[in-house]
Amino acid sequence: MPVLTLNGLGRAFGKVNAVDGVDLRIADGEFVSLLGPSGCGKTTTLRMIAGFIDPTSGTIEVDGKVLSSTKGSLPPEKRGMSMIFQSYAIWPNMTVGQNVAFGLTLRKLPADEIKRRIDNILGVVKMTHLIDRYPAELSGGQQQRVALARAIVVQPSVLLLDEPLSNLDANLREEMRFEIRRLHDEFKITTVYVTHDQAEAMATSDRIAVMNLGKIEQVDDPHTLYTRPRKRFVAGFIGRTNFVSGKRDGGTVRFDGFSVDADRLDGAARSGPELLYSVRPQNLRLSLGAPEGGVIAVAGEVAERTFLGEHWDYVFAVKEGGARLRVSAPAHDVHAAGTKAWLAIDPALMVPID
Amino acid sequence: MIGRMLVAALLVATWSLPAAAQLTPDAEKALYEAAKAEGSVNWYVAHYSTEIAERYGRAFTEKYPGVKVNVVRATSGVVFQRVVQELRSGPPQADVLASADISHYLELKRRGQLETYRPANSATLIEPMRRIDPDDQYHAVSFGLVVLMRRTDKVKAEDAPKAWTDLHDPRWRNQIALSHPSFSGSVTTWTAALNKAYGWSFFEKLEKNKPQIGRSLLDTNAMLKAGERTVGMALLQAAAQDQDKGEPIAPIYPTDGGVVIAGSMAIVKGAPHPNAAKLFMEYLQGEAFDRLQSQDFFEPMHEGVPSRTGLVLKNTKLLIISPEELLKAAPEVKDKWRDTFGN
Amino acid sequence: MSLATSIGEVRTRLANRGVDWTILIWIALAAILIFIVVNPLARLVLSSFEVVDGKGYTIDNYFAAYGRWRYVQALLNTLVMGAGVAVLSALFAVPLAWACARTDMPFKNFIRISVLAAFVTPPYLGAVGWVLLAGPNSGWINRAWVALTGATEPLVNVFSLGGLILIMACNLFFFIFVFVTAALELVSTEMEDAANVLGAGAFRTAFRITLPLVYPAILGGVIVVFLQSLALFGVPALIAIPARYPVVTTQLWQFFESPVRVEVAAAYAIPLLGITISLLGLQRWLLRRKGFVVVTGKGGERRITKLGAWRLPLLGYALFVCALSVLMPMVVLVQAAFSRAWGRGFSFDNLTLSNFQFVLFEHHGARQAVFNSITYAAIAAFFAISLSLCIAYIVNRKLLRFSGVLAFLCMAPFVIPGIVLAIGFYAAYAPPPLALYGTALILILSFTTRALPISYTNSAAGIRSVHPEMEEAVRVLGGGRFTAIRRVVAPLLKRSLVGAWILVFIPTCQELSTAIFLTGPNTRVMSVLMLDFSEEGKLEQLSALGGVLLVITIAIVALGFRIVGRDFMLRRIS
Repeated sequence: MPVLTLNGLGRAFGKVNAVDGVDLRIADGEFVSLLGPSGCGKTTTLRMIAGFIDPTSGTIEVDGKVLSSTKGSLPPEKRGMSMIFQSYAIWPNMTVGQNVAFGLTLRKLPADEIKRRIDNILGVVKMTHLIDRYPAELSGGQQQRVALARAIVVQPSVLLLDEPLSNLDANLREEMRFEIRRLHDEFKITTVYVTHDQAEAMATSDRIAVMNLGKIEQVDDPHTLYTRPRKRFVAGFIGRTNFVSGKRDGGTVRFDGFSVDADRLDGAARSGPELLYSVRPQNLRLSLGAPEGGVIAVAGEVAERTFLGEHWDYVFAVKEGGARLRVSAPAHDVHAAGTKAWLAIDPALMVPID
Repeated sequence: MIGRMLVAALLVATWSLPAAAQLTPDAEKALYEAAKAEGSVNWYVAHYSTEIAERYGRAFTEKYPGVKVNVVRATSGVVFQRVVQELRSGPPQADVLASADISHYLELKRRGQLETYRPANSATLIEPMRRIDPDDQYHAVSFGLVVLMRRTDKVKAEDAPKAWTDLHDPRWRNQIALSHPSFSGSVTTWTAALNKAYGWSFFEKLEKNKPQIGRSLLDTNAMLKAGERTVGMALLQAAAQDQDKGEPIAPIYPTDGGVVIAGSMAIVKGAPHPNAAKLFMEYLQGEAFDRLQSQDFFEPMHEGVPSRTGLVLKNTKLLIISPEELLKAAPEVKDKWRDTFGN
Repeated sequence: MSLATSIGEVRTRLANRGVDWTILIWIALAAILIFIVVNPLARLVLSSFEVVDGKGYTIDNYFAAYGRWRYVQALLNTLVMGAGVAVLSALFAVPLAWACARTDMPFKNFIRISVLAAFVTPPYLGAVGWVLLAGPNSGWINRAWVALTGATEPLVNVFSLGGLILIMACNLFFFIFVFVTAALELVSTEMEDAANVLGAGAFRTAFRITLPLVYPAILGGVIVVFLQSLALFGVPALIAIPARYPVVTTQLWQFFESPVRVEVAAAYAIPLLGITISLLGLQRWLLRRKGFVVVTGKGGERRITKLGAWRLPLLGYALFVCALSVLMPMVVLVQAAFSRAWGRGFSFDNLTLSNFQFVLFEHHGARQAVFNSITYAAIAAFFAISLSLCIAYIVNRKLLRFSGVLAFLCMAPFVIPGIVLAIGFYAAYAPPPLALYGTALILILSFTTRALPISYTNSAAGIRSVHPEMEEAVRVLGGGRFTAIRRVVAPLLKRSLVGAWILVFIPTCQELSTAIFLTGPNTRVMSVLMLDFSEEGKLEQLSALGGVLLVITIAIVALGFRIVGRDFMLRRIS
């Protein structure tokens, strides 16, 4: 049963629709990321879920109960959720222990229960020894752990995270993203995670909702999202890709410089004559000789190359037509710029884009 | 009015005896009880220094315990302003107004903003001080004079200016202390009186000696005491008090006449403590107070109270300006003052 | 998020709860501001068009007020004086602020404390000190000059435009010092390093990089000083009248003498408002043209500049400024306070405690005035800060529509000279039905109005420093807005609020220009009493009373140091 449902959720600021008809169902215990560039409406959506912003259209429901609608909203303090903020919002006037205890005190739990839970959660986030420190005496990572502990200890119905790692340095960010996932696995709290960093979303989430211009473009698990993007924006935003557009001509689809039988291409039959496909640079193969074995062979030359350490980044110029495709090749696969070469495309890895 | 009557009286040089009895003990007791119920009297006063005014207030409370005098001391212009402000805005705070600028009383009387009351004790005053307003709206409270003064250690008696016109002598350049007619009623009177006596050229010549101009008439004493200036205009009482205290200051009675400053008082219409005000007014016109006041070098207002300045008024030339004259001249001389002295 | 968000938030909250509490709060705050800001000003403007002592409206008051060259001259004089004060204050303050904030000049703390002391000293008290120092014939400086050189002419004359400017600058340069210090502490050293790397020396860097970066702060400070100097009454009363240099405030005062012409005074005051508003507009315009975004809280450590051989000359200049503004006037004031007659100088038989005895025990009004000053200032500071804190919170958190209006009203009194405000208050509340003239309430209210801009900027800065997420974190965990305010916002703001309170309390305690119009017999304050003393030439007693005022203020400032640290005097005021 989905615990959190967004139905046609929208929010206008003046004439601008920051969030525009978002539908999303999040299951109990699920970890869903809202991923998108800045200004895509993901934070507004999160803050609507938290109750800080009211929707101008649609509703937010938890377990069938309407929390937000255009008629009125339950204030944040009545929602039983918790949230981790971009700034951590650790209260500097309270110690680590007091920060973590705050939500429990508000829930009027007995003192020994509060103590037990605090000890437990600080143990989980490995902060037990810092219980009496003030936030100013903690590092960024430690503050982040306090924020996590403070949010989780109240056992919220939904945990909301607003770009929680954006203020940390790269190493710490990587460490914390696993920490967040580990905590989720341990407590199984329904979680909505807002980020603009796809790696973060990939590493933590059960499903990712990619947002753009206030709308959800696609919701899927990370692997599907990467391998089967359905929208041009999603394909471009998650990882790098080449877009190739073609025209169906009877049983063939003609691309710029090469053609494929329509029945070998996914989705070639269902839509109109104009077709768009995404093909990842990693799924293209360069070779000096013409490739064989059921792949599409395209002649051309290596136009540019960049060595990025883990792999080569080539730009392949197709011989006929002006198409230029990015190709990712292993470090040992060296081709000089200007080399005449062949490109092998596996039609099964060409993903149709709506 | 007061001026003319005073002059007449001075020329005759014999005070007529009090015409009627003073405040009767019964009337006094009744008034005191009523005043005590009111508890205090707000006295807006300009022509005494704070110290003296406070002392007089305490003396009153000593005689009439339970009736406190709240002294609000400021220059006459300020005092008048406050009273006018209060009257414009409803019930006033001021009970008794006392200052040396008679034009203020005429103005308030014209507006019907003074209480009519004839103090029984006014009957005890010497003739010219008795009932200076036939309508009993304002009354005499002190008899002051504006004179010259010098700094005794810097100006010898024989070198000192003897008359107002001596101040035109270039050797008093940067040495003269004056006050501003816009900030002091006594100075307005003085300006009007000298303007009447000598015309405005008196002030134009005076300006050439670059006098320093203070605000209240007491400022000039401060300038001399500080050594800032060596001669100046002064309230006779203030200069005599300073001399008495051992300050290096001495008053000089100008041969061309001291300017009479009649200290007056009135009860403001709608005063919050009317009975205390009446009692206070009785007190201020009583002989006991006159003795107290004359100790501070004011000329006595009762027969038989000795003068401490030693001035024999009947032999002394006085410059007198009547209230009507003053009322007419005040705006003009204040204006001319600013043209001549630049502020 | 935008304003619209919060309105939606508010509206739906209301719908949910059925009680329109936020609107009620808005109405309450707006009502208070209308009472203490809008109405007095409106009445001022209105009365400038009223027929004197009559009914109906007329433009005649403006002709009366400006139909004479003398009155126009006073206005021009005032502008010249204000410009002089502003320039001199900047010359005093900017080098000192730079030296104290960014260099290795020795005795920086001493200089800072002296600057604070200059501010704590009421301007009219400083003026008395300077009269004692530089009276043309009697001032210590001139006596020494004449004694040493045998000259016949005095060296300096305090009763002059120069004296007026110096005395005002001595008190007011504190504002520029505070603004510039605060701004300098935000300028990253990297900016200076970048200039150093390109070959600029310490002073070149200071003049070409550092000072231009804090130019908005300097400009803001200069404008504040300019406006404050226009509005002062005490110093002109003591200095400008003998200097024969009529200014607006002394001229305004004269409109109140017989015959009283409040309407003309009101008309005469209107251009002051115009000047102030246009200056603030000019400031905005000047700052809009350049981006000064570099002055932010971020950007690395701040190093001090090594002055090398310039350490002592700079210290010398700092000491010179402190000597002019504090040390010299203080020495003569203390001497006067303990003297029978100050002119007799430093001798044993001239020594007395009688002045203190007089002001503390004999003068029945003095103790009352001391008590009044302190309680009125304390209450007014409390009111002003509470009110501006509520408004700053609403504005910063965008809780209500049109909250910007409230903020504007809080800042508006900044453009109203005290003496003008007093006229407005007088016109609005002296008459029935309220008839507040002479009550403590009218003084406290007018002081509150005067204090609003400073307390609003401080409150707003405080609120801004508390990240909204701090509160959201409370709410999302189940605490309401009031819990958030009580448990998080208030504790976090405690220190800065105490600081703001002190910053408001000190000038309010010394307030003269408003008080002089509004005090009654039982509500006299120390400043008014001091002016009366000066009128009577009681400089010794005045010094003693000033000493009492200073001791009390310094005790409160010291307490402030204890509670909040030195920071409170370094916060920007606008």
